[in-house]
Amino acid sequence: MKSNIIKGLANALVSIVGASLIIFVISRLSGDPVALMLPIEAPKSAIDELRKSLGLDLPIWQQYLIFLSHAVRGDFGNSYRWQMPALQLVFERLPATIELAIAAFTFSVLLAVPLGVLSAVYRGSWIDHLGRIIAMLGQAVPSFWVGLVLILVFAVGLGWLPAFGADSFKHVILPAISLGWYPVAAQTRIIRSGMLEVLDSDYIRMGRAVGTPERLLIWKYAFRNALLPLVTIMGVYFAAMLSGAFVVETVFAWPGLGRTVVEAVFSRDYPVVQAGVLVTSIVFILSNFLVDLSYSLIDPRIRR
Amino acid sequence: MRGATPLFVAALALLLSGGPSQAQSSNDTLTVAFGAEGTTMDPARYSAGVDQYFISQMFEQLVRFDKDLKPVNWLAESWSIQGTADKPIIDVHLRPGVKFHNGDPMTAADFEFCFQRLKDAKVSRWTHLQVNVEQFEIVDDLHFRLHFSAPDADYIVGNLQLWAIPKKYFEQVGDEGFSKAPVGTGPWKFVSRSIKEDIKFEAFDDYWNKDARPKVKHLVAKIIPEDLTRVAAFKAGNVDWIDAVPLSAIEEIKKMPGVKTFTAISGNNLYVDFPSYQPNSPFNKEKVRQAVAQAVDMDAIIKSVLFGQGERYEQIGKGSTGYDPALKPYPFDPKAAKKLLAEAGYPNGFETPCYNLTTPREPNIKEYGEAVFAYLGAVGIRCKVQGLEYAAWINLGRRGRNGPPDMDGVLMWMWGQGLPGDPATPWGGHLHSFVAGKGWGSYSYTDDKKADEMVEKLKGVMDPEQRVGLIKEIAQYAHDNVLGGVTTYRPVITFAWREKVEFKPWPSANWRNFKEVGLKN
Repeated sequence: MKSNIIKGLANALVSIVGASLIIFVISRLSGDPVALMLPIEAPKSAIDELRKSLGLDLPIWQQYLIFLSHAVRGDFGNSYRWQMPALQLVFERLPATIELAIAAFTFSVLLAVPLGVLSAVYRGSWIDHLGRIIAMLGQAVPSFWVGLVLILVFAVGLGWLPAFGADSFKHVILPAISLGWYPVAAQTRIIRSGMLEVLDSDYIRMGRAVGTPERLLIWKYAFRNALLPLVTIMGVYFAAMLSGAFVVETVFAWPGLGRTVVEAVFSRDYPVVQAGVLVTSIVFILSNFLVDLSYSLIDPRIRR
Repeated sequence: MRGATPLFVAALALLLSGGPSQAQSSNDTLTVAFGAEGTTMDPARYSAGVDQYFISQMFEQLVRFDKDLKPVNWLAESWSIQGTADKPIIDVHLRPGVKFHNGDPMTAADFEFCFQRLKDAKVSRWTHLQVNVEQFEIVDDLHFRLHFSAPDADYIVGNLQLWAIPKKYFEQVGDEGFSKAPVGTGPWKFVSRSIKEDIKFEAFDDYWNKDARPKVKHLVAKIIPEDLTRVAAFKAGNVDWIDAVPLSAIEEIKKMPGVKTFTAISGNNLYVDFPSYQPNSPFNKEKVRQAVAQAVDMDAIIKSVLFGQGERYEQIGKGSTGYDPALKPYPFDPKAAKKLLAEAGYPNGFETPCYNLTTPREPNIKEYGEAVFAYLGAVGIRCKVQGLEYAAWINLGRRGRNGPPDMDGVLMWMWGQGLPGDPATPWGGHLHSFVAGKGWGSYSYTDDKKADEMVEKLKGVMDPEQRVGLIKEIAQYAHDNVLGGVTTYRPVITFAWREKVEFKPWPSANWRNFKEVGLKN
């Protein structure tokens, strides 16, 4: 167990350093930010002066070494656009994204788990069909469209929920549904197939034969054994929600990290892109690491 | 499992039991929604027009434009041009009794401080506008003089450039402190800011202009970039006022009961440019440029693609300095365009790269570009279309780069002449030829000696009447020779607000200034 943790941490560290190099090179391949920072009539001398003051006139390898030496100390430099420390900007926006991802993740699990289990238990019934339709819609319909429809119905039509913002718990409901609906399909499918496999196994049949209550059989004995692949995909989707919430954040004017980083990409705000993507990468890598660790808790055989 | 459904329904009902989601405003709070967000609240650091939407709520300049787009003295009680023709002096007397939000009195030292910051390349993006000011002389607390080394009209057309920035307070709190808690002289005091979310202001009780004081205590500016969400928030009553109603929603919003709207020119100027300076380019030939000018039915594009939300202009927009109603756009005449192409040596037309901006800097701008290319294709100028996001677009447009080759085809471009509008700066950038290191023609594809001479002369003319005459002359010359691109339209912007809001649109900050605003009970 201990060696697994050490190995996992070492892998995570290598991945993070690799991610930093990729982010650094790719952000610079997108072009020069200086022309965007100055007014259109600024002369070339002003452009050159600004480029020098930002260290963008140095060779790229030298820029990377400076970036790396500062980054390990938590200094990603100042945002070119916002004129404040890039990491501070990222940390100010990250909680909103995590909040949205957790809410969306909770929604998706709360919908997918009962749907998947019931679809398996009542295979071929209307519940099974309904589960497939709901799941299919989630994957077929883009999240921005879901968001706009939810706004029109629940904010404009019914007036129950706010159309935008992040001021209270009510504000998170519509964005969470928009973001969380997509993974429902995959999660439902995996639970359904896992459950079908387990429900056909000998020990379940034996349980039924000796009169074990059906509810206990499904939720205690069958569901736990069908959980492992679900946890894997849940980890992937949770990380994807953290890094892929940009569209939903834009639709609902949610003040999260996704919008901040995407706008930074368009304005070539290197420090914010680097800090944002690296922080997201770290969260992504750590969440996968935690998923790996959770396997041994779910399945004792892995501990051995 | 049966018990779960009623439990879920009960939980949902409890969750939603707060009743309809009401506007976040109350009688003492005006909530407005903007589509874009500024990046700084420091006037010396601003770089884009959107910064001014927010800066102008709490900072002020010496001169401003009134509702009829006429310049009026604001923090300046009076000003005049003195000195000699070669070495002019702008002499400014400040309005007495103006206070900053922290209670400090406004003095000439605050403007000198602003000037020094505008000159500093580490702070300002406008250092090039200060190069001809050789001395800032403080005569007394309410009187200063700007000594110029050469005539320079940039100060005249830019509301005398300077902002009131509290020197004493700034030196106490430093750059970072000022960016977190900015202090100005305007009608709104800064309260807080959450990037990507909102900016909160409070009415300044000691505001010097009693006629222009807000009649509501709080102003909350929400940032809602998605057009449909902004409209939905307005319809749902979550906000009282919205910026930039999307084109497709304008008619619907105008028909909503209890809603008022205001439509105005946004201050941007769009045109189609081409490399007429390149000897081997077809656009080097005047007849080809004239063909472009006659090939595109801009009236139809404005009507169909822009939902009528655009105003045609020829060189100078209506109401701008030097506007000449006699100067009309070339008529739409595809037959004449084909004939001109044939006369220029292109009876079968020609292929050319056509670069379109895909980032929505103006509503439906991508579709406008595509429509223009289709019209060009109809007369034989066949476009190989390439869409560019903003950063790539601006990079392609700039001259004198150390990178990929210069723009070599048709380029959809824009350069705001502002409100009420003065073409001197845009012409210096795209009508004057490119001169490396001198600041001329930074986005220019034109090379015409006479145009250069006239544009350079205009920069030095500080007398308003003389400027009008010269601008008219240049506009006519550019029109006749189709230089500096083919001018197309000026975007129109619409704002909407609830009837309970007393909103008087002011031209500063492109009409987004909340002076004299109130809420009816």
